[in-house]
Amino acid sequence: MRLSCKSMCLALALLAAGLPAQAQGPAAVGDLTGQVILVDFWASWCAPCRRSFPWMNAMQRKYGADGLQIIGINVDKERALADEFLAETPAEFELRFDPAGKLAEAFGVQAMPSSFLLDASGNVIATHFGFKTADARGYEREIVEALAHAEESRP
Amino acid sequence: MNVIASRIPAAAARRRVAALALVLIAVTLTACAGVQPWDRDVLARDEMQLVADPLETSLDEHIYFSKEASSGGRGFGGGGCGCN
Amino acid sequence: MQLNEKRRGRSKRKRCRPETQIAPALAAATCALLGPGTPTSVVAQEEALPILTPWAIDTAMLYYGESDGRVRDFSLNAQARKELKEDGFLTLNLALDTLTGASPNGAVPSSIPQTFTRPSGEDSYTIAAGEQPLDDTFQDTRVALGANWQWPVTRLALLDIGVSFSDEYDYTHTGVNARIARDFNNRNTTLSLGAALANDMIDPVGGAPRPLAPMLGLNDLSNRQSGDQSKDVLDLLFGVTQVVNRNTVVQINYSLSSADGYLTDPYKLLSVVDPDTGLPVAGPVGAGVNLHLYESRPETRDKQSLFVLLKRNFGGNVLDASYRHMTDDWGIDSDTVDLRYRFALGADRYLQPHLRFYSQNAADFYHTVLFDGQPVPQFATADYRLGAFDAVTVGVKFGMDTRHGEISTRLELYQQTGEPDAAARVGVLSDLDLRPDMSAIIAQFSYKFGR
Repeated sequence: MRLSCKSMCLALALLAAGLPAQAQGPAAVGDLTGQVILVDFWASWCAPCRRSFPWMNAMQRKYGADGLQIIGINVDKERALADEFLAETPAEFELRFDPAGKLAEAFGVQAMPSSFLLDASGNVIATHFGFKTADARGYEREIVEALAHAEESRP
Repeated sequence: MNVIASRIPAAAARRRVAALALVLIAVTLTACAGVQPWDRDVLARDEMQLVADPLETSLDEHIYFSKEASSGGRGFGGGGCGCN
Repeated sequence: MQLNEKRRGRSKRKRCRPETQIAPALAAATCALLGPGTPTSVVAQEEALPILTPWAIDTAMLYYGESDGRVRDFSLNAQARKELKEDGFLTLNLALDTLTGASPNGAVPSSIPQTFTRPSGEDSYTIAAGEQPLDDTFQDTRVALGANWQWPVTRLALLDIGVSFSDEYDYTHTGVNARIARDFNNRNTTLSLGAALANDMIDPVGGAPRPLAPMLGLNDLSNRQSGDQSKDVLDLLFGVTQVVNRNTVVQINYSLSSADGYLTDPYKLLSVVDPDTGLPVAGPVGAGVNLHLYESRPETRDKQSLFVLLKRNFGGNVLDASYRHMTDDWGIDSDTVDLRYRFALGADRYLQPHLRFYSQNAADFYHTVLFDGQPVPQFATADYRLGAFDAVTVGVKFGMDTRHGEISTRLELYQQTGEPDAAARVGVLSDLDLRPDMSAIIAQFSYKFGR
């Protein structure tokens, strides 16, 4: 909760500013306000990240139309390693690259991977350090709830 | 445990050196900041693991255990990618 | 601390393989994607199955060969690791060894030929004047098995439990082990605690000799004790691992080992010689052999060791440096320095030189030789492995990534140089090599796959 303003600002900033983007997803910043955002920090050297990608792809496919946008932020220092990972385990969600770890530090990443669920107002409503498939159903419920609230509060 | 009290000077000196090394290392460790979770790329590599080649290490251990009076020492756990 | 199989950080061109447990249609479609956002017509899955790290198998062939017709060992070894459920890893080990060649029997050479009765009592062998007394009875095969199960008991704590077993013609080992490791400081510090309990059964050929009993002639086993021998060993390890910076990790371990039971080598002798001439003295009346006593070691042994390890990355090259100091209640102190430097030759191969220095002093009850007329001590051994010596290992290893793993080979030279007791150099013994250098070649060929 204490990250709410910062995270919203960061979320908008990273989408609007010059961080390199590799995505063909929703392009305009304007489209993203009012969306539920799942920010996930990953790296090529992180085995649980490999496990989380198919689940995140499934979530993006399932709830993208309902207003979910997943953003995967890669923290590899060498871009080539991230590309190799993506060649084997592709992402169907937006990607950003943070090799200096500035965003990871700002969000308060404590493990790899870490995910932060932001509601439509930009508040962090859920934080998960690490990824276990056993917990994925619970994560999905959080997304569904967040989407429902976003739907309700939409004018 | 019996620690031999009166040994020849060389052995006692070696033990003192070992104790001093331990103290220095302990002091150094307490001053360590460590790294952030997203900076563990190098530590995640195979060759940076504490036991980089477990099979080879166990083969060597077996040889030296058979030919010398000492064995073991190496442990496990720590370093690495620190994931999950 | 890694809880999962690490994703290898080195560049490696891999063909996209649907090796996961996702439905084949989805896997094939995923492989076709080269980037995010490409529309696909695959069936969306309700839930992702856990993608479990596949089998990782390490195999190694090892040859160990000492010079001068001494021990040679050839072994086939394998270790297989598999994630059976999310974050739960099973590791299986198998080793098959064949041992041939001759071992020193503990007696000293002499200026006259010497005849020794084999441990079985059924045969004897003669050593020429001036030659090292080596017993070549030992043709043996050994099988060793191990299994370990590792899983996270909490997010920050890892537990590993295992069993081990080995068997050869005169020795059987069974053991259990358990280790727990807990991370602190954002996983920068790890404390670990390990314990291993072993029970070993020894069934010496011909039966275990009575302590310090004289070697007898053929077909006379009256110097043996009845019953099987066994020993129990408890090992404890306390460790601290600390990540120092992005390129450095250090570890300190303190270990204790306590052994109880039959710790003697049932085949080793001590020569009894004349204190003036250094010549062998006659054995028991009617035995037809000289006087050599079977060794005897205490029934307990407590060891402590301190081990320090540094792993440091230098722009892709890795230094592995460790030091171990061991001390025990048999009076042995030892120091080991082990250095490896891995030179990365491009992204997919490496060259790793290796240097190891070892030094130990003699056990309290080590005697190169015993003198006739002096009281026989309670414990005595002439086994060179409990004497004072230095050893150096020099080696190099070369490894190369393959499509699905790694192939590597290493060659090492191991050399021990020791000194016999100064007091042993009497009479004819002053002209003989009472503690010959021991040189051995270690050659290994490995293949790892499943990476």
